[in-house]
Amino acid sequence: MQYKKKIIENLYKISSPERYTGNEWNSINKEWTQQRLKVALAFPDVYEIGMSHLGLKILYHLINREKNMLAERVYAPWQDMEDLMKEEEIPLYTLESYHEIKDFDILGFTLQYEMSYTNILNMLDLSGLSIYASERGEDDPLVIAGGSTVFNSEPIADFIDLFFVGEAESLIIELLNEYKKLKAQALTKSEILKKLNKMPGIYVPSLYSEQYGDEGEILALNSAEGEKKRVKKQVVQNLDQAFYPTDFIVPYRDTVHERVVLEISRGCTRSCRFCAAGMAYRPVRERSVERLMELAEKALKATGYDEISLTSLSTVDYTEAKKLVQAMTEKFSEQMISVSLSSLRVDEFSVELAEEVNKVRKSGLTFAPEAGTQRLRDVINKNISEDDIYSAARSAFENGWSRIKLYFMIGLPTETMEDVKGIAEMAQKIRDIGREVRRNTKKKMRRIEVSVSVSTFVPKVFTPFQWHQMDDIETIIKKHDYLRDNIKGRSFSFSWNDPELSRLEGVLARGDRRLSAVIASAWEKGSRFEGWHECFEPRIWGEAFRENEIQPSEYLRQRGEEEIFSWEKLDIGIPKSFLLREYKNAEEEILIDDCRFDDCHGCSICGNFEVDLELVGGRNNELQN
Amino acid sequence: MNYRIKFAKLEDLMYISHLEVIKTLRRIIRRAELPAAFSQGYNPRINLAIGPPLAVGLISRGEYFDLELEAEVEPEKLLADLNSASPKDLKFLKAVKIPGDIRSLSSLVDTAVYTINFEYEEDKTIVQEKEMLENFMKQEEIMIIRHRRKKSDREIDLKTRIFSAEVLEKNKWKFAVVTGSRGNVRPEELNRALKEKYSEIKDFSPLQVIREGVFVRDGEEFYPPYAEKFIGS
Repeated sequence: MQYKKKIIENLYKISSPERYTGNEWNSINKEWTQQRLKVALAFPDVYEIGMSHLGLKILYHLINREKNMLAERVYAPWQDMEDLMKEEEIPLYTLESYHEIKDFDILGFTLQYEMSYTNILNMLDLSGLSIYASERGEDDPLVIAGGSTVFNSEPIADFIDLFFVGEAESLIIELLNEYKKLKAQALTKSEILKKLNKMPGIYVPSLYSEQYGDEGEILALNSAEGEKKRVKKQVVQNLDQAFYPTDFIVPYRDTVHERVVLEISRGCTRSCRFCAAGMAYRPVRERSVERLMELAEKALKATGYDEISLTSLSTVDYTEAKKLVQAMTEKFSEQMISVSLSSLRVDEFSVELAEEVNKVRKSGLTFAPEAGTQRLRDVINKNISEDDIYSAARSAFENGWSRIKLYFMIGLPTETMEDVKGIAEMAQKIRDIGREVRRNTKKKMRRIEVSVSVSTFVPKVFTPFQWHQMDDIETIIKKHDYLRDNIKGRSFSFSWNDPELSRLEGVLARGDRRLSAVIASAWEKGSRFEGWHECFEPRIWGEAFRENEIQPSEYLRQRGEEEIFSWEKLDIGIPKSFLLREYKNAEEEILIDDCRFDDCHGCSICGNFEVDLELVGGRNNELQN
Repeated sequence: MNYRIKFAKLEDLMYISHLEVIKTLRRIIRRAELPAAFSQGYNPRINLAIGPPLAVGLISRGEYFDLELEAEVEPEKLLADLNSASPKDLKFLKAVKIPGDIRSLSSLVDTAVYTINFEYEEDKTIVQEKEMLENFMKQEEIMIIRHRRKKSDREIDLKTRIFSAEVLEKNKWKFAVVTGSRGNVRPEELNRALKEKYSEIKDFSPLQVIREGVFVRDGEEFYPPYAEKFIGS
């Protein structure tokens, strides 16, 4: 059913109605013919967040390129819209055709952060579907999910029919075609799921189970008879030739990233030990400068944006970074198009690049030293020295930046109050460098501002720190208090995360299937949009844990070396022994280098995927250090 | 070279805000690859100036903006280029070359014309409707509470803000009201004031309203802002 008229007639009653109307430039509204497989691509957060997600853009255009398929978008409605939908009996619908979700063959969710899980349940419910996979009928859409938190999707295993593990553009079309074929054979949903589970990267959670011991520990992970034991993630081979859209949808509403987004590379081998993406997205693959220039030109023409953002896990590590940035600014600055860089490292080369792109519009500069002392930076294998940091800061100030943002984490393994103190000292020293530069310059320079943003470290699956316990609330608060007291004054701003929220993220990040019931309870009690600070209610979650007799602290504790982890049903291509070795290296403060420019450290990814690193600039270039 | 351009914002885009329209216009101009002139300074932007804002939730058949180009483009080509790069419900209708030094749209435009489709609890004849409107307009004052976002409510008199009103056809009334820097009347307020007098009028919905356009009042007449008398130098 389509509800367009009813929707349009009512939207004036709520805030930001343009979140729910679609009709954007480049949106694709294909005809609903019988033979087309209909896919609803869902992002479990509001429009302006979801519209900025690159993975969903790629899938949207990739699927719509197929003659026998169509893909439409749906985002989580904000509370006022949810109320309106319930009052007016409007089911969740897509922005292209205004068809209700039940009309689709497939409902696919993007998993970006744990804090959006209740929104997934809410979207299922607003679609008129049961939240539990086992209770949904033969005619209901197949509910699938993939994305960055798929690597620990166990807490939502009860709600999802099928997960895609890894980079979806590698296999999504094959999966959809296979589903279409099996559906045409009039097989039951469970027969279809069994067949799909034979495909690489496909994980049907109902075919797997967890066996628990008396203490609540996991004794075994079981797979149904004849099913693969572990599900290996899928990766795109040859990123340069992989599909990449240029006719991006151009939203009317302000969204998080309103610009052409170019993914210059995927994967990172810097081996920061806390970083989930750094492990999960290996190997490193780069796009060529020529290809990126071509994509940029097409995308600018197709969208009318005035900014290009070069994204990757570590932009300056792109082996042709300088050449690319120069080529971009040379070609586009005359049209008043600016280039922005994400994820800069803390070094002078980063500042040099940033200076290069700031010819049209000057953007802010953000550095992430992550930890306040050299000792702790060595623990996490953040290969930067005090010198790198201060000379990068000096060079930034000398190049005219007056405002610098710094990112740190608290709660990293082995952290003491000395390390926390180090954060405040570093912020002060950077401020002092800024003031000195400002005093001595003849150029006009605004007042120095250093903003310090501190997040709480959450141990993530498939990282060397997956064994590590998370800080308790009191410790987190103590560290926040210290920093608030010591980073104050006109030149500073200090921001931090809600400790309760970080703890919940910690529970879900290393959770298992028993948490499905907790998530369902929290949702029933009205929890939504936990990622939005103002929407998060710790009380509701406390009740949800109690009702289901689950101790959150069980999920935050130190894990034993021999323990079986819920997420080991999946295989990211890096053996546990490598992660454990790295955990021990961390404790001994042993650094390892980036294998792009140094020796192989035996993470096994290349062998496991029969690939080599795809580096457009080769292995010998100026980035070696 | 400067141009005054008339456009319509129709149903698909009715919930797009004024600022979003401006942003969309800039992107359309880029997509159309027009030789736009840019503002100077820290954050260079395409030089365009738009007329008085249109409320979220309303459609309009006659909005305007002024655009500066670095090179001369024939108005027909300019319109065709803009329309080719625009969503289907944002339509460019007219482009007129103007001198660079004339009065801006925001200081010139002072009138908005709305047609409202009235719905009643019980059917009315057109004669009854005309009488209703006449009696409505005969009032000495038409006081209404204006709800303001993040500010306290305020009482205003619509009487001085309505320039003219007529019943066009059955269930369809037309109002010319003040807009821009000299004040403003929201169609929802017209509906509310009418409902206060005639309780048989149904609640307001933005789908009943069309902004026919914005104009410049000159005596008893309303002119489009590209009329010769405003753009002659």
